[in-house]
Amino acid sequence: MITSIPFETIIISLVIGIASGAIGAFIILRRMALVGDALSHVALPGIALALAYHIDPFWGVALFCVAGAVIVWMLERKTKLHSEALIGLLFTFSLAIGILMIPDTEILESLFGAFAPLSFPVFLFITGAGILLIALTFLLAKRFLFSIISPDLAYIESPKGSRWYELALFVIFALIVALGIKLVGTLLMGALTIIPASISKNISRSMGGYIIMSALLGGFIGLFGVTLADKIGFLPGPTIILLGVGIFAVSLFFTRKI
Amino acid sequence: MKESGLKVVALISFFMESNNILNVNNLSVNLDHEKILDGVSFEVKQGEALAIIGPNGAGKTVLFRALLGLVPYRGVIEWKQGVRIGYVPQKFFVEKSFPITVQEFFLFKSPRFWMPERTFVAHLQHELSLVGLSKDILTKPLNELSGGQLQRILISWAMLNHPDVLLFDEPTAGIDVGAEETIYTILHKLQSDRGTTVILISHDLNIVYRYADRVLCVNKTMICHGKPKDVLNPKELAQIYGEGGFYHHPEKEPI
Repeated sequence: MITSIPFETIIISLVIGIASGAIGAFIILRRMALVGDALSHVALPGIALALAYHIDPFWGVALFCVAGAVIVWMLERKTKLHSEALIGLLFTFSLAIGILMIPDTEILESLFGAFAPLSFPVFLFITGAGILLIALTFLLAKRFLFSIISPDLAYIESPKGSRWYELALFVIFALIVALGIKLVGTLLMGALTIIPASISKNISRSMGGYIIMSALLGGFIGLFGVTLADKIGFLPGPTIILLGVGIFAVSLFFTRKI
Repeated sequence: MKESGLKVVALISFFMESNNILNVNNLSVNLDHEKILDGVSFEVKQGEALAIIGPNGAGKTVLFRALLGLVPYRGVIEWKQGVRIGYVPQKFFVEKSFPITVQEFFLFKSPRFWMPERTFVAHLQHELSLVGLSKDILTKPLNELSGGQLQRILISWAMLNHPDVLLFDEPTAGIDVGAEETIYTILHKLQSDRGTTVILISHDLNIVYRYADRVLCVNKTMICHGKPKDVLNPKELAQIYGEGGFYHHPEKEPI
């Protein structure tokens, strides 16, 4: 493949794509696609703070996303009814704050991602963390699925464990979002977790197949989205998402009968 | 003389208690400020079959959920130490769009979800044969099963690791009478083969007569507790289901 994109960006788009696809499989089943989407907006104030203190934006994003995930988790336990509205408020609030605080020169990149030049240690860190989160997602897949399919039966099997697995799902999700934001941007990172799983759900017949297919599709969309963006001179984030939605549209023709 | 008599009584009650797998004392459950259960007390002996009966909305399923720790309660629920519980819920619904096979549902109980051990799958096939299902069903989507098949899967699922107690909440719909008969034959066989204690919620007094060692009648409060032939007389039944109530198939009476 002849391309001008650095090798690092290729690897990162692949790893981020696989991680987003894998965790997204559970987010879709749990019907919290929009919560996940909104969660990525929390990253903006994190980016603003990190820029103000001259540290890598990743740390600000990770801190804010994990905090956001823990808040969602606690709200969900408190009340099933109103958490949706509260989450909407919280996240649009962060979006507003973030937009006001981030310098104009950085805003587009924060929202929609960029081919950011990465130092080698940062590259190693993102790749390593991504692979670790993918492994964790597959390792905990049984626990995640069990409490999604039947929270009651999952509780009976493991009364102490089940709520912590829920938290683990949220935190892994938040960290993957944080890893991907540099490439895809805060506005669209949520979508990268939703799209591969939505395509996979259309065509899979088993849970194992669904999760693996979702991860592979995520990797494919990430990798080819970035390559395509470079070829036609678009931003990577929107290109990845448009490619994903295109594949989703095609998958509708192959939907298994329900 | 009197004192030694008391000792014997204490000793007997000690042995009886130690034979109990479950003690419930003065159990009350309030949900959303509504009193669902009030002052229910009973005990269950190891290996016995206890049927819980009562009209719709009497709090039977809530009683199960309290026993399982799924709802907050007041009072005492004391399971024997280290007891393992299997639960067959009344309603079990998997969304139509969820791509999950029967085998994957069982794999929630396997140490490994990805690439399960052969011994686990072999054990699974054996357990399925006990409820009259072949291994072909393992590859089917869980949400495409018939009501009767799903019921058997749920029983088999609950019994897979040979629990000490099975809580069985009878479904009110979706199972035809013939299949219902078979379910109870299967339950009875599992109970006698493995010595499993069974606590079941039933809507069919015929079933209760035939399979239960003891009956607990609930209608928010506890109304009766004893052997079926002692408890299920017209007077008690009128108290449980109301005057002009019905003896058989209370859920299936014409409206």
